Amino acid sequence: MKVRLPAAGTFKAPFRTFTARKSCSGTLKMESNTNKLQNLHITSNEETYPVPEIDCTDDEDDEVMEPQVTLGFIDEPEEPEDWHLLLPQHFPNKAGGVPAWLDPVNLPSGKSRSCDFCGEPLRFVLQVYAPIHSKETAYHRTLFVFMCPSMACLLLDQHEQGKDRAANPKRSVKVFRCQLAQDNAFYQLEEHEGCSESIESQCAGGPRAQLCHWCGTWKGEKRCSVCRKAYYCSKKHQELDWRSSHKNECHQILGAPNDSDSILPDARKVPVFAGAAWPEYTVVDETEKPPRFANCDGNSSELYVVQGQNEPDHMLSLMDEFEADADNRCWASFLDRISRAPHQVLRYCREAKAKPLWAMSSGSLATAAIPSCIYCSGPLRYEFQIMPQLLHFFHVENKPDSLDWATIVVFTCQGSCDRNINYKEEFVWVQLYPTTATRYRSSGYQSPSTNKILRSDL
Amino acid sequence: MAERGGERGGERGGFGRRFGRGDRGGRRGGRRGQRQEEEKWVPVTKLGRLVKEQKISKIEEIYLHSLPVKEHQIVETLVPGLKDEVMKITPVQKQTRAGQRTRFKAFVVVGDCDGHVGLGVKCAKEVATAIRGAIILAKLSVVPVRRGYWGNKIGQPHTVPCKVTGKCGSVTVRMVPAPRGSGIVAARVPKKVLQFAGIEDVFTSSRGSTKTLGNFVKATFDCLMKTYGFLTPEFWKETSFRMTPFQQFTDLLAIPTKGLMLEAPVETVEA
Repeated sequence: MKVRLPAAGTFKAPFRTFTARKSCSGTLKMESNTNKLQNLHITSNEETYPVPEIDCTDDEDDEVMEPQVTLGFIDEPEEPEDWHLLLPQHFPNKAGGVPAWLDPVNLPSGKSRSCDFCGEPLRFVLQVYAPIHSKETAYHRTLFVFMCPSMACLLLDQHEQGKDRAANPKRSVKVFRCQLAQDNAFYQLEEHEGCSESIESQCAGGPRAQLCHWCGTWKGEKRCSVCRKAYYCSKKHQELDWRSSHKNECHQILGAPNDSDSILPDARKVPVFAGAAWPEYTVVDETEKPPRFANCDGNSSELYVVQGQNEPDHMLSLMDEFEADADNRCWASFLDRISRAPHQVLRYCREAKAKPLWAMSSGSLATAAIPSCIYCSGPLRYEFQIMPQLLHFFHVENKPDSLDWATIVVFTCQGSCDRNINYKEEFVWVQLYPTTATRYRSSGYQSPSTNKILRSDL
Repeated sequence: MAERGGERGGERGGFGRRFGRGDRGGRRGGRRGQRQEEEKWVPVTKLGRLVKEQKISKIEEIYLHSLPVKEHQIVETLVPGLKDEVMKITPVQKQTRAGQRTRFKAFVVVGDCDGHVGLGVKCAKEVATAIRGAIILAKLSVVPVRRGYWGNKIGQPHTVPCKVTGKCGSVTVRMVPAPRGSGIVAARVPKKVLQFAGIEDVFTSSRGSTKTLGNFVKATFDCLMKTYGFLTPEFWKETSFRMTPFQQFTDLLAIPTKGLMLEAPVETVEA
């Protein structure tokens, strides 16, 4: 058998070079190869042991390998003791209301605390106390999530979140991470086991920065020029407060001088601010239970997959059908997973193999596309995600322009780096429900029936 | 210092580790109460939230705007009288190297016997799972059924408004309006579906391999879906579009009406 040697520099297919080598190596090597082949005993396994069929729907192994997810549930604080536990010195997990800042002095300032699109100060969503036990400087570690309550800004944010972080894209959702060592200037070394009613009155926080009198979220840098005691984070909040209540109170404060330099709210109670904020809750964590019907098929997400019925009337392009299928399957597995605990608002998992639970396949972020940390250039990793049930608990309105998301996924620095900045920004990805109108409009496809044209988002 | 650090590490919690403080144990009572509530539905989609708040009272408002229903609890809330029935459970098999893998296919019809019917088909390894899944899918696919009169418009509509036909596979089912008192003249399988739909009198005619229950039942369902797709003189009037619960007033509605008239009529609800 003559094999033509490929010309030098034209090595296209590797296997061709291999055969060429074989032919010119001579007969000795050929013999040894055939000997090797003869020594091989090819037995058919099917007769001796039945080979278990690898069924693509058998996901029982996946249950074992999947990392353990901690879920967060909303719990309404009822007794005054519960309210007291929401104070920063108890390192709470909370949603809504005002943030319990971990580092109460060096708060985020400047542009990082306002929406990059409308300029309004961001509103507090939730905070997660997630210390890293293996790292000394992260003995205390909290992640704070803020977002602009305007849906218009969130839609603009969708375009910006995919852009390169080095270019400082505009965001309307921001996540801050703060970590402290055990020995720090703000909290005592010894922790409170729990404050009974008697200790409550004595349990107070350490030194704190001045917070805005209206929202209670951000640092109050500007000051009311009349009474010089009410601090504000921005002009907008000063205006709002003046119009609502401060106009009347200002003179009274001026008239009754206090010893303190400002009207600091009582450090022992959770402060109540007049500004618009979402209702305050505490977040209770529990590990995710295994599926109820664990002995049945492992992947019960098939339950929710809508098998499309043939509709020869509607001219669905092939692309649309495939898109719908992948989205449907993703939605089915999403529904199945949250059906184990329908009240969950937070999914937390900091293990290496953890992947976020996407609601749709469109609008999700691939693992390869996760950017790096802007401070240490290290890799980012999925830490937690916020579920849409939180909107129900926040009593968000359901108007056309109201806030709505499918899931908000937060990626944090894998090494939880320390830098000079106290509140470091982490990467957050928002997935919204796709609106059929935009899908059809963008693809330039117009369906013949009005039903499709009038169809809008969920 | 190190020992204290170790102790603290054991007692301190935070996300990622189970939290077990003493005072929190007392508060767990609140959570236990909530566990009973966990059967209550927490909506995930905006439509679900609207339904839960009772801003949407009838399912017809969802049909009017052709909004996709992604949670079956929405249908359960809006159509309270839904009954379900398992039509058939067939074992289907797939040949593998190790023998046959048997799964069960369940056909479930849901309906409130008053103009809403849904069909769900699910295949799963266990019968119970298949039935559960089929019920959920059936609820997600609930459609309105238009009823009309055979002759005099006295009393409530009792039959299909016109001759309609539905096809699935080789099976075609044709439904013909019938006078009051005829009853449902149909085979056992479509009779069940038509009873769930709330049709009292109808003549049917079927063709094809009606032995295949899947196709037969899908054909009747397709036929029922078409009742609201049939253009009758009542729909000749120009439709006045209403805003969907979510969408702002779009440019589409600002297009002059001549352009809109070319489209097929929007399905309105018959009283």
